[in-house]
Amino acid sequence: MEKYPFFCDLTGVYMNREKRWIFAIKEDEMADGDKKPLLLEGEKVLLLRKDGDFFAISNKCPHMECPLSKGTLEGHVIKCPCHDWRFDIRSGEFLDAKEIKVPFYETSIMEGSVFVNVEGAGK
Amino acid sequence: MNTEKRKGQLKKMFSKVVDPLGYKFSSDEELVDFLLEQEVNIEKEKGSPFCPCQGLTGEREHDMKLVCPCIPFHREHYDAMKRCWCGLYVHKNVEDPDNLMQISLQEFLESKNRK
Amino acid sequence: MKKVVMYTLSTCPWCMRAKKFFREHDIPFEYTDYDKADDETKRAIKEDCLEHGSEMSFPFVKIGDEVVVGYNPEKYAKLLEL
Repeated sequence: MEKYPFFCDLTGVYMNREKRWIFAIKEDEMADGDKKPLLLEGEKVLLLRKDGDFFAISNKCPHMECPLSKGTLEGHVIKCPCHDWRFDIRSGEFLDAKEIKVPFYETSIMEGSVFVNVEGAGK
Repeated sequence: MNTEKRKGQLKKMFSKVVDPLGYKFSSDEELVDFLLEQEVNIEKEKGSPFCPCQGLTGEREHDMKLVCPCIPFHREHYDAMKRCWCGLYVHKNVEDPDNLMQISLQEFLESKNRK
Repeated sequence: MKKVVMYTLSTCPWCMRAKKFFREHDIPFEYTDYDKADDETKRAIKEDCLEHGSEMSFPFVKIGDEVVVGYNPEKYAKLLEL
């Protein structure tokens, strides 16, 4: 997780051209273990808070597009409510076949606000 | 929902799932059409498109591993056959699916243990 | 002639092909569609399948004392000495 998403240096200027940080929520609006479905720039994003960190993944299960926000979070693993497919929220990886991933996004916290890089799906 | 439309939707969704696993839809179009139609009917009756060639037991943990595409949960077995159990999917390099045989799990495990 | 008994699914094309094979070879057979069976029959079929390590894969074909899981005409023919 980057501390300063808008920090610019020679590399940063280039990097920032590929990033689009969108305000998601105030940090204190989510408790540990919370899940929050959001619509960011038209993308269905699921924001999760776990052990103090924020994670953002697509809210659509790559299997049959079920909303992962209605699933259960245990540790860093979210289980889809429809067919129990399990994903690691830190990498988006499907636990039973790592080749399949739910798109995930970078997150960043600045001055108590959580931002999501909506251009960064799958990185 | 109209069966033909749902068959198309399932095909589109499942193509994306099996592609990174190294599988594709069988080139036997008649078989694919028949199996997808069964899946749509099964989905209407039971809520999920379960494999038309494997039996449900009513135990969620068992049955969820039979929702199409069930390749991730039977990977080694299917890789050995170069197809899934019902034959809806085959390995990407398979051109003639008729040459692929169903090998029972027990036979597969026995041959694996012999190696 | 060895007795042929099959467990099948009404939705499975390989089960249909197995039935066709036996019909074409004039081999009498009995079959039960697992998905259409009553709960008691389902339980019995499930036990039988799991005992043979089949994990509920169909068709499940018994030829005499031998079991063949899957559509395998060569094996059927060999066991029936066709």
